[in-house]
Amino acid sequence: MAGVKQPDDKSYFILPDLGEGVHEAELIKWRVRVGDVVKEHQTLAEMETDKALVEVSSPWNGVIGELCGNAGDTILVGSVLVRYAAKRAAVTGAPKTVSAPVKQPAAPVAAAKIETKADTTEDAGTVVGNVSGSLGVPSRFARQPEHESVSSGPNKSLATPAVRRIAKELGVNIQQVRGTGRGGRVTASDLQAVSQGAADVARETTASRVVIAQPITHSATNNNTITTSPAAISVAYPSVNREGVKECIPFRGIRRKIAQALDLSVKTAVHFTVVDTADVTKLDRKRKEYAAALGTKLSMLPFVMLAVCKALRKHPTLNANVDDANEEILIKEPIHLGCAVDTDHGLMVPVLRNAHQKNVGELATLVKELAESCKERTVARENLVGGTFTMSNVGSYGGAFATPIINYPEVAILAVGRAREQVLTKDGTFYAGLVLPLSLSCDHRIVDGAEGAKFLNTVLGFLENPDRLLV
Amino acid sequence: MPIKSAFTTTIDHVSILDVNANFDEKLGAGLIPDGDLVRLYEHMCVCRHLDEVAFKLQRSGRMGTFPQNMGQEAASMGAAYALDKTDWLVPCYRENAGLFWRGLPMEMILLHWMGDERGNAIPRELYCMPLAIPIGTQLLHATGLAWAAKYRGEKRLACTFFGDGATSEGDFHEAMNFAANLDIPVIFFCQNNFWAISVPGKIQCSAPTIAQRAVAYGMDTIQCDGNDIFSVVYCVRKAAALAREKGRPFFIEAVTYRLGDHTTADDARRYRDQAEVDAWKTRDPILRIRKFLTTRGLWDDAKEAALAERAQRDVAAAVERAESIPPPDRNDFFNNMYATIPPDLALQRDTMQTHGIGQDPSQIEGAVIELPAKTSH
Repeated sequence: MAGVKQPDDKSYFILPDLGEGVHEAELIKWRVRVGDVVKEHQTLAEMETDKALVEVSSPWNGVIGELCGNAGDTILVGSVLVRYAAKRAAVTGAPKTVSAPVKQPAAPVAAAKIETKADTTEDAGTVVGNVSGSLGVPSRFARQPEHESVSSGPNKSLATPAVRRIAKELGVNIQQVRGTGRGGRVTASDLQAVSQGAADVARETTASRVVIAQPITHSATNNNTITTSPAAISVAYPSVNREGVKECIPFRGIRRKIAQALDLSVKTAVHFTVVDTADVTKLDRKRKEYAAALGTKLSMLPFVMLAVCKALRKHPTLNANVDDANEEILIKEPIHLGCAVDTDHGLMVPVLRNAHQKNVGELATLVKELAESCKERTVARENLVGGTFTMSNVGSYGGAFATPIINYPEVAILAVGRAREQVLTKDGTFYAGLVLPLSLSCDHRIVDGAEGAKFLNTVLGFLENPDRLLV
Repeated sequence: MPIKSAFTTTIDHVSILDVNANFDEKLGAGLIPDGDLVRLYEHMCVCRHLDEVAFKLQRSGRMGTFPQNMGQEAASMGAAYALDKTDWLVPCYRENAGLFWRGLPMEMILLHWMGDERGNAIPRELYCMPLAIPIGTQLLHATGLAWAAKYRGEKRLACTFFGDGATSEGDFHEAMNFAANLDIPVIFFCQNNFWAISVPGKIQCSAPTIAQRAVAYGMDTIQCDGNDIFSVVYCVRKAAALAREKGRPFFIEAVTYRLGDHTTADDARRYRDQAEVDAWKTRDPILRIRKFLTTRGLWDDAKEAALAERAQRDVAAAVERAESIPPPDRNDFFNNMYATIPPDLALQRDTMQTHGIGQDPSQIEGAVIELPAKTSH
């Protein structure tokens, strides 16, 4: 049935292929609300594929329990679009089967689908009744793998003969692989991920890798490293111990979009990071003068932005986008500076357009306005796209150095750490100075190590010589 | 020497029941008996309802894709009605109306679009070919079928259906050339709905009519209002008579319009003006027959309500039957192409469930396979 298997118990509805070979659709508008009673064929939502604006209809009668997505979200074919509330079963003496909660724990969608499938095939027709995949944690614990394979028989994993053959060659037990293909099919890459995963674990326990080029997003302060796990979709995930879960947050919405963007960046761009510190003692004095003259508070950031713009003019390859689809590097003329902003709903990167035409005062005002509009979620869509280079002000939260993730398809990103007073030396004497840590990540495919280091050095030069910066 | 005319011709356009349901008694009297017309109308309405339901089925993931028939029912059904029950129907993919009239169970169409090959296992006695998805290939099949009938001395003809877009295909021209030059009793029934998916007819045919393409092959041709079932029946009868009596092919251009999208993968709003669609909605073949039946006292609101109820019930039952079909046997895969399965395919079939597809069983290390005792067909 159109590539996706809807659940036998009708507890949820998986977004089908709405055209021919369509694999995702943008949710334009919901036409139902939670709690609505819907009839078979009733329109649930308006969605837009790359081919058409279509009305998605309910395959059966039911009550809407949960809408999985918001207008503007892109929903993948094969993921859950709507959950139906459990039917008010008139079964007496079997309250456990009635109570199936609507909320699905935040398991990835593909996983939820498969578990549900296992559940339904197993329980159909037994005295327990129809236990759906929306069961809570305890029942999942109760279900032992051995029990599963006994009751559901061999060949439970869906896979093509070719994939089964690969499994045999790799020595992977296909029954234990979580499929990520259509309808939960095990794919060749699932098998490769599983067999490579085993190899990776072995390697990592024996060798310590001296590579800076790995993902760390926001900040890394001393030993306190924050890493984010990319929301990789196509690997076989280990099962996660659910004991002691305090809160279960659905991995969706902006959080998921951030994850996908970072994941794409890390998987596509070849990251390397160069770090250095700038002596901004003199610049800080200038900053205070400017602040006094303008009569406002003024941070170091707009000065660094100015230095970046000037340095980009000397190293134009860093002011670029990479078009991997067409295998082209697009060097950009205007500098549209992305500025990473932390908001309550997650990381956002508004773009300060034509930053090279702005002075320090304007930069300060504009970046402040953009950050505010992000926090209030009023930021215009055109201010979220089109960046040519991004800056992340990790210092405002206390970090010094970072290995920032490039805002792909841009080719470089600069993380600005917190300026600290330090004892410095010059010509054989000590002095107390202000030091600004800078971390530059570049896409090594486009930017050579030397070019990256030279760029950072140029930025440093401007920061350490405010007279050159502020001409 | 004065220049003389080498050839002149005219192409007739037939319209019997017009947009305002005015009826040409001279041409139309006795063409379709009242009882038949009522049944045709009822079939069309059921077909229209199936259209709506199938569309929703696709939108909820219960069907792969679906081309709606909306607007073209009179053309398709009128042709099927005018033919003998043992004439070949060689359809394209928008021929539900004609196929249902011939007796094809609705669930077979549903199965086809749900991706189940059993939807194409059409009972032989219906003389229907499976839906042709590639554009224009079925014209050659129809020519071949009619040629075979002629060769065998049967009085059977073949009628093939296609759109305006198919007349730009090489297959169309090959089939037309064959049929005209070899005197093959085949009716080429073109449903000119003005749009080859998103390509408007006028940029793929410079001639004012599609019908005149037949003239070039020396084939008789006529154009009719394809949304008027009387005109369609009139023209197909005329064509069938020529085919049966003289063994000659005939080309009919039925002017109609698809009111829906090309298929569920299409969004016609992207390339068609709403005004154009609205104008054609007023020429809807179903509305026209209903008006005609009502003025003749053959139809009323009570009958309409009963019909709507029946359509709902019948279609729901067809959906139920289609969806409750057991999974196919994997060997079916091999069973319908050849009367006697060739050895290499038999080997593939028999080794399909091992790790060495197509490999000789003796070469598969440790393979446990059960070979059927020598394939016999």
